[in-house]
Order: sequence, then structure tokens, then C-alpha cells
Amino acid sequence: MKGFFTLTILLTALTSIYAASAWHLPRQLTGAQLDPLPALMLVVALRAPISAVTALAIGGSLLQSALSSGPVGASLVPLYALGLVVHLNAHSLSQYHIGPRFALGAIAGGVVPALTLGLLVLSGHEPLVGWFTLWQWSVGILGSGIFAVLFFPLLEWLDQSVEEQPLAAPYDTTTRIVRGTRFHG
Amino acid sequence: MNNRPYIIATGLVLLLAIVFFNLSPDSSARLKRVLASFHIPLFSAQKTVEATGEILVDQTAPRKVLLQEIHELKRQNQILELRLGQTQSLERENRSLREQLELRPKPEWNPRLTRIVGRDPANWWRSVLIDLGTKAGVRVDMPVMSSQGLVGRVQEVHDHRSRVALLGDPACRISVTIEATGESGIISASGGTVFDPTLVKLLYLPANSEARAGDQLYTSGLGEIFPRGIPVGKLTAVTAAPGALTTQASVKLAVNSSKLNEVWVLMP
Repeated sequence: MKGFFTLTILLTALTSIYAASAWHLPRQLTGAQLDPLPALMLVVALRAPISAVTALAIGGSLLQSALSSGPVGASLVPLYALGLVVHLNAHSLSQYHIGPRFALGAIAGGVVPALTLGLLVLSGHEPLVGWFTLWQWSVGILGSGIFAVLFFPLLEWLDQSVEEQPLAAPYDTTTRIVRGTRFHG
Repeated sequence: MNNRPYIIATGLVLLLAIVFFNLSPDSSARLKRVLASFHIPLFSAQKTVEATGEILVDQTAPRKVLLQEIHELKRQNQILELRLGQTQSLERENRSLREQLELRPKPEWNPRLTRIVGRDPANWWRSVLIDLGTKAGVRVDMPVMSSQGLVGRVQEVHDHRSRVALLGDPACRISVTIEATGESGIISASGGTVFDPTLVKLLYLPANSEARAGDQLYTSGLGEIFPRGIPVGKLTAVTAAPGALTTQASVKLAVNSSKLNEVWVLMP
């Protein structure tokens, strides 16, 4: 069942990457492209095993590359690094209220593009970077926070939907049989 | 804690990252084509939803609005027919003169309208996806334009989709000519111009360039990828550095590609 959950995570990644690319309105309004993957990775790293984190880093970055003119798998290492750090510290991160969820998503949305940009520059590519990149980065942080708030309940629902449910007992398990001296003398 | 799964996962990711970053351009393009096939169901779903939406809008549009539109289109059609007649006359004259001068005839281009179906998911590349591919005859390096001017060139081609590198992207450097002076330069991307997607750099102008802000730019036709004379934009500033071998200029592009929904692919 965990394998099926990983598959649903990858399908969520595929759909959200395509939707972010095909929905032009945010880019037309803000001049920045929103990236749902950092927020999705955050939620997955908090809820799923390391195998799902790895699958999302590989699958997500490859699916994103298919729509981009950048190099293949450019965001692979940054996404995985985020997932690994969050996964290893999952017990110490607050994740049950909207505020912390938004804050964690925003941090994820800030870290991944910065690492990706650093990798691109170090590997000899020529990404378009200027002062406006700071604005795009800020919009990305805000967008990632919102994505995280949306992804938490979505993945909870998906996890519950594909999780193996315990079989219901044919009797009421809360009933207690009390034997006393009154009946058995 | 059992560290083995973490070590295996980290090793796998690092190995794949090294492989991906060292792929040749051909292998990279092939891999992208394979990966893009995962998006095909969503691409088809998007087309279906848009087509359904258009049908619904068409069916619910009031008759009065439609009649007004028909009236306006008929008027525009008459004006365009008049201009077409003039253009055809000029074209005949041009062809005749070229024959007399024994110049090679200009190739005719067949424009094909297409829709932009996606934009680059990363902020540091300027490219869009269009819904025409090899099946429709699209090839790499074909010029893409809108009614205002040049938009970019076809960078990657798939069966039913293509990627267009927009002007200002590192993958779309083109040669242009300044109309007023006849000087040529190369349109190039620049980090300082990301603030406005319609601002790019013009490099390699002569050191003693006479270009001025406001001069119009057109494709030069050098390299024979783009036809000559497509509007590209206008100069906003010319920077002549003392002692430098070339002059740089800032260019405001004729087309704001971030607001486009449809473009024309010029097919030979």
C-alpha cells in the first residue's frame, strides 16, 4: 500500500507541475512562475518514508524538466536535499496548524530555487538572473507557502484513501463482559 | 536508526544527478521527449476542456453581440482586402525587378496559427510550448511570430507539441539590423534585463555606432533562419564604452511574450 501511496504522490506531482505550467494567470499577474514541487516535497518528507522522498525527487525533477528548456534533472539534488533534511527532522517540526505549514512551505520554496540556481551556475549554464529574480523568488516563497497549506490536507486524504483499513469486528468491541458472584453464585 | 536506506537513496540521487548533468544535448533532448509523453494525457485533457469551454461560450453569446462582431469583421475584411490588393501589386513589381536584376527569388513563408499551451516551469528560462509538432510539419529553428513582430524560434519538436525559445532566452540569439543606420548586432539575453521581459541586450554593434534611442530593429536575414525584415523592437539606450571594440544597446522588444496566447509559426 505504501507503494501505491508513492504512485499517488507522483501523480500529484505530475498534475501540479503541468497545471502550474499551463495556468498562465499567475505569471501574467506577477511575472513569476510558481513551483509546486518544494511544497509537495515538504509534505511528503513529513509523512512518507525515504523511498517516497527519493521517488518524488527523481520523478518530480524529471517531469519538470520535460516542460523546461533547462538541463534534465536540474532540481533533483535540491529537492532531495530538502526532503532528506525535513525527513530526518520530522519529529521536531510543527505541522498541525496552518501557520507552521505555511512557514515551512515558504522556507522550502525559498531553498529549492536558490540551490537549483547555484547548481546551474556552477555547472556552466546561463540562467537569466537579475534584480527581478529577487521578486520572482519572493513570489515563489509566498506561492510555496500556499501550496503547502493545500498539499497537507490533500496528502492526508490520499494517504487515508489508499491506506489498508483494519477489518471491522463482527461485534461491538467496546462491550465488556463482567462476571460477578451475583449470577454465578 | 537504520542508515542503509538513506545511504542508498543519497547515492542513487547523486549518481543520477551526475549522469543527467553530463548528458549530451542529443541524449538530453531524447530523454525529454520520452518524459514529455507522461504529460500527453493532461495535454489532451486541457485541449478538451478548452474546446468545451469555447463551445459553451459560442452557444451562450447573445445574438446582438455576434451581429456586431460580424459587422465589425466585415468592415475589417474590406480594409484588409484593399491592402492585400496593394501588397500583391507591390509583390508583382518586386518579383519583376528581382528577375530583371537576376536576384534569387525570396522564399515564401506559410504562417500557421498555433496556441501557447504551457510556459517554462522555471523562472530563469524563457520558453513556451505550442500545440503543433512534427505531425504538423514543424521543424527546429522555424521562426515564430505574432502580429506585432518576432517572438522566438522553435527549439525542440515533439509529435504534437514544440518548445519555442523566446527572444531574450540564451537559446535564442538572433542577428538584427538597425533600420536607420543599417548596422547589425546580436540580440542576447542579459541578467540585468529580467526586470522587464520585453527588455534585452543588443551586442556587437560597431564601436563608432550611429544608432540612437528610438531606432527600429528588424531581423537581418543573416544565417537564413529568419526571413529578413521581421520587426524585433526598438532601441531604448545605446552604451558606447570608451576604448571598447563594440557598442552595446538596450532593446525594447516589439512583442511582450508573457501576454501572448497565440503565435504564428512560419513554415517554408
